[in-house]
This record gives sequence, structure tokens and C-alpha cells, in this order.
Amino acid sequence: MAAILIGFVIGIPWLGALILWRTNDENPRLQHTLAVAFSIAAGFSSLALIFFSSAQTAVDIPMGAFFGSLTFTPDGLAVSLTAIACVIGSLAVVFSVDYMKGEAQLSRYYTFVLLFIGAMAGLVLSGSLLFMFFFWEITALCSYALISFYNDDPKAVAGGIKALIITQVGGVGLLAGALITYSTLGTYQVSDLLESAGTIPANVLAFIAFGFLIAAAAKSAQFPFHTWLPDAMEAPTPISALIHAATMVNAGVYLLARFYPAFVQVPGWALSVTIVGLVSALITAFMALTATDLKRALAYSTVSQLGYMVYAIGVGGFFASQFHLLSHAVFKALLFLAAGAVIHAAGTRDMRRMGALGKQMPFVRNVFVLGALALAGLPILSGFWSKELILEVGLADGPIWAYVGMLLGAGMTAFYTLRITWLVFFGEARESLHVHDAGFAMKVSLGLLAAGTLSTWLLAGSFSGLFHATLPFHSIHELSTLELTEEIFFAPATYIALTVVCLGLGIFWMVRKQAAARKEAQFDILSRESFGFDWLNRQVTSITFKFASVLQETQTGKLNWNVVGILGALLVVLVFLLWSA
Amino acid sequence: MNFDPLNAVLIGVVLLLAVGFYGLLITRNLIKIVLVLQVLVKAVVIALVLAGKDSGNLGLGQSIAATVIVADTVVAVVALALAVQVRIRIGTLDLSKISSLRG
Repeated sequence: MAAILIGFVIGIPWLGALILWRTNDENPRLQHTLAVAFSIAAGFSSLALIFFSSAQTAVDIPMGAFFGSLTFTPDGLAVSLTAIACVIGSLAVVFSVDYMKGEAQLSRYYTFVLLFIGAMAGLVLSGSLLFMFFFWEITALCSYALISFYNDDPKAVAGGIKALIITQVGGVGLLAGALITYSTLGTYQVSDLLESAGTIPANVLAFIAFGFLIAAAAKSAQFPFHTWLPDAMEAPTPISALIHAATMVNAGVYLLARFYPAFVQVPGWALSVTIVGLVSALITAFMALTATDLKRALAYSTVSQLGYMVYAIGVGGFFASQFHLLSHAVFKALLFLAAGAVIHAAGTRDMRRMGALGKQMPFVRNVFVLGALALAGLPILSGFWSKELILEVGLADGPIWAYVGMLLGAGMTAFYTLRITWLVFFGEARESLHVHDAGFAMKVSLGLLAAGTLSTWLLAGSFSGLFHATLPFHSIHELSTLELTEEIFFAPATYIALTVVCLGLGIFWMVRKQAAARKEAQFDILSRESFGFDWLNRQVTSITFKFASVLQETQTGKLNWNVVGILGALLVVLVFLLWSA
Repeated sequence: MNFDPLNAVLIGVVLLLAVGFYGLLITRNLIKIVLVLQVLVKAVVIALVLAGKDSGNLGLGQSIAATVIVADTVVAVVALALAVQVRIRIGTLDLSKISSLRG
């Protein structure tokens, strides 16, 4: 049964992608209907798959001597992420029915969305490193194609290419790790790597561990690769919600979580992960403080929250990180889709031009406030429980300076969240924008996500039970939801964090009058340029181009010179043969 | 010294190769390039038969040599046709004046 459902969650979206690819753009109603039908079918299959989760490999297809076996393992980690990808994927598709109404080339749009959903499910379910890499690259390609969806806009094209290049750099880390694993263990299977990580020589294991860390940091837009995600916001908003907030960027966190038991013995690895998480969380929280573009502000906060998850893995809080991943996926998808409804209605992404939109779109305002409170970490919303759990683990097991940094980050999160909400929905209207409330399809997906934001933390107990039962290498303790809430309720860390969050909210409340009219200071310009990292990116590309043009000189187009080259190479080979003989 | 007749053939092959490469290095005329390439390929054909004889698979060597001759003839014909087209369109056969291969 599990095998059939795995076939469904990957096969249904891919079949849908194939069919939508062949549909005609002159019939958008058919395209919307087909996309919604296929994605919802995948969503239900993924929910059904949760009940068939096990640590056993469910699908095992031999692919020949070089490629090993194509295996799929529906363990707790995999099925929960599959459910996030397929369910939020289907909600984003439903949202698109309103958002993309009247857009040209819907066939291309839906094809890549569905291809992405299937690939994401394959990525997390795959039990083979090589095929994990295969699915990993498909998600990167879909992300690229969808960021550049408006391909007559040079900013969109540049953002897509930036995302593609940076995630490819990370992909090399994953491929290298997979190939080193194969050359030492003779297998690509994830379970074999987890089981016999102790038998791999320490220096070889370190190469695999840090290769995977690079892959994870690039995919999850973590420091020092955090520059691509804000530029990816040129994508249509449902794509930002699905790929760049709820699913694909979680793949890096997933990778770290999946191999944590194998790599924790590598000296310095856990500390590096902690530092990467800490730096990403803080640096992007600073950028979110001054951002004026609604979607970019949300993108910075996504990187910051992913930083929390990475930090949690670094200090050993595997469950806390995955729990935060679940809550973040839901409330950040909600925030992005609500922002999409605002942008769709207002026709601008500049928060300085908005203000007091809440009166005209009450439904969107209500769900956005709900998501914002969850992001800020106020009780009893999902974001509160998971963030408190991370900070509690950080205080107990992590270095104290990292904990203080993350606490500061929580305060800044509260500050910028309130700032975004205030600038968009409250205060006085700065421009008379005539907006309308969300359409029916938008309301359905926003309402469902809002319900999820209120309720996903109730699943914490069954979530830990699922992990306990199906992840033999991670040693998760099973706790009921009640025990978890009691634990958080009585921990001193909770009250420290809540104080900091309230402080952040309070500070913004005092400066709220100046928030919209502030003049741009040096700090704003610095933070918009990612504190110099965008400059670094541009330098790397320009050096690469210069190097290429130097190499171009060697290609003269003269046959005689080419023959000299061939003869020279022949000579080298001959000398080498004589020398080795 | 016991002189193996196969060695004489080998020396011939090396000499032919040398002539071919030398020609490729100095030639500028497209038609001459095709001729020089023919010299090179003939050296390879002889080397194939020689290798077949030496390893005891004379039949295999000969059949591959025959295949190479056929393929090479086709290459020569196409190359000459291209040379004619180059002469018609660009007006010269001088390689140093045709640098569209430049990167």
C-alpha cells in the first residue's frame, strides 16, 4: 500500500505536469481545473501516506551496477515533509486560480508547479543519495523556471539565474558527498550511510559532512549563500509561498536533519551548523528591519526562520527543528499568500505606498495578523511552541553566546513582523489605493492555512510519536502534546523569550509613527545590499567572465595552431607512457 | 641483428604520419589540407592492418581498415565540397583569412 501511495504522490503531479504541458493556453478554465484536480489528488495521497509510514524501504527498483537501487523509504521525516509539499502545494495551486487569472502562458506555469511538487516529494522520500541529488536538481530547475516566469522582466531573469547558480554550487556539495559515500561504502543508500558512518575514516566522513552542509546552506539560503532568496521574490507570489517559503528551501534543513546522527561525530560540524544558523538568523533579521518591499521583507524573515531550524539542528534539537519547520511552512505560506492577495489588489509591493488597507480587505488583514503573530512567536499559535522549543534546547545544550544571539533575533522578529503588519494594514493611508478583498479561491486557501496556523501545534505529540517509531538512528523521545506544552510552560526559557518578544513589539509601537516616513540612512543601503554579500556575488561573476575572456584568446580559429595543440598533447601522452614504463 | 619485416612497415607508418602532421602544420590552402588529411588517414589504415597482423587478428584489422577507407572517402568528398563552397562564398581558400572558428 505504501508503495502505491508513494507512486501516487510523485506520479500524479508529474502526470499532471505532462498533461498541462500539452494543454492549450486559449482554454485557461481547463488548465486551472486540471491543475487543481491533480494537486489536490496528490495532497490527499500524501496525507494517506502518513498512516503507512515505516522505517522499512517500501519501493526498491534496481537500476544497474553504477546507479545502485532507486529506493523510497516512507519514514516519519519523509512523510511529514511530503505532506507539507503536497498539501501546501495544492493550496498554492488553488490560490493561483484567482491570482493568475488572465495571465498568459498558464500551461508553462502549472507544468513547473506540478513538476516541482512531485520532485519535492521524491527528494524527501528517496532512500538513495544519487536519486536524492536527481530530485534535488529538478526542484532547483523548477525554482529557476518559475522565478523567471515573467521572462520579459530582466530583474526576474537575473533573479532566476542567481538562484540557479547558487543552488547548483550547493548541488555539487551533495553530489560530491554522494560519490565519496559510494567510493567508501560501495552503496548510495541513506540507511547504510547512517548505519556504518562509524566505519568511515574520520577525514573522509568530514568531507561528506561539510559537502552536505554546503549543499544545505545553498538550498536553504543560509549564510553565506543567503543572497538569492530575496531576489527570487520576482516570482509570482504563490510560487514564493510554495517554493521559497514552505517547501524547497526546507530541503537544506531536511538534509541536515536526515544525516545528523551520522555527522554529529565529525569534530566541528555541529558547531559550524550552529554558527551558520545563528549568523543567517541575525543578519537577515537586520535586513528585514529596514526592507520596504513587502515580499522581500517576508523573504528575509524566511531566511531568518530557516536559520532558527539550522541552529536547532546544530545544538541537537532535531525534533524542535522539524517542529518549527512544520509550523513555519504553514504560517509563512499563509503570510505570503495573504501578501499576494494584497499585492494583487494594490498593484504594488512597496509598503511605503500602502497603509490602512485593513479596512478595505478585512479578511486578508485578519489572516495576515494571525500569521504575523505566529511568526513573532506569541502564544498560543503554532510558531510560539516551536520557537520556544528551539530556544529551550539552545539554552540547555548549546553555547550561551549563540543562545543570546537567537534571543536577540526573536526580539527583532517581533519588531519587523509588527512593522510589516502596521505598514500594510494599519496607520493612515499614504496613497488612496482602491483595493478589493480576496476572491473565493484565495479565501479558501487562506482560510485553511489560517486554521493550520491555529492548530498544527496540537499535532506535536503524534509528530514525535511518528519520529520515534520510524527513525531508528535519531533516538527521539516520544512525548504527548500535553507533556510538551507542560514542558514549555514551566521552562524559564519561555518567559525570557516572551519578554524579549514583547520588548521588540513595544519598541516598534513607540516608533511606529516614523516607520513609514523614515529617510533612507546608510544602514538601509547597506542592508539592501546584504551587507556586502551582493557585492561579493557580483565580483565572483565578473572574475569568472574575465577569466573566460582570457581563455577565449587561446581559441584562435587557425587550424595550424590547433594541430600544434594536438601534437603537443600527443607528446605529453608519449612522455608520460615512457616515464611510467 | 634480426630484422623483422613488420618493423619496416612500422617505420613507413611513422614517416607517413610525420609527413601528414608536417603538412597540417604548414598548409594554408583548404584543398591541400584535404590531401594532407588523406595522407594521415592512409598511415592509420596501414597501422590498423599492421596491428591486426601483429596481434593475430588479421581479418579484424583488415575489415576495420576497409571501413575506415569507406568513411574517409565520404569525409574527403564532403570536405572538398565545403572547400568549393568556401571559395564561392568567401572568395578565398587561404585558411589564415578564414577565421570564423575564432572563439
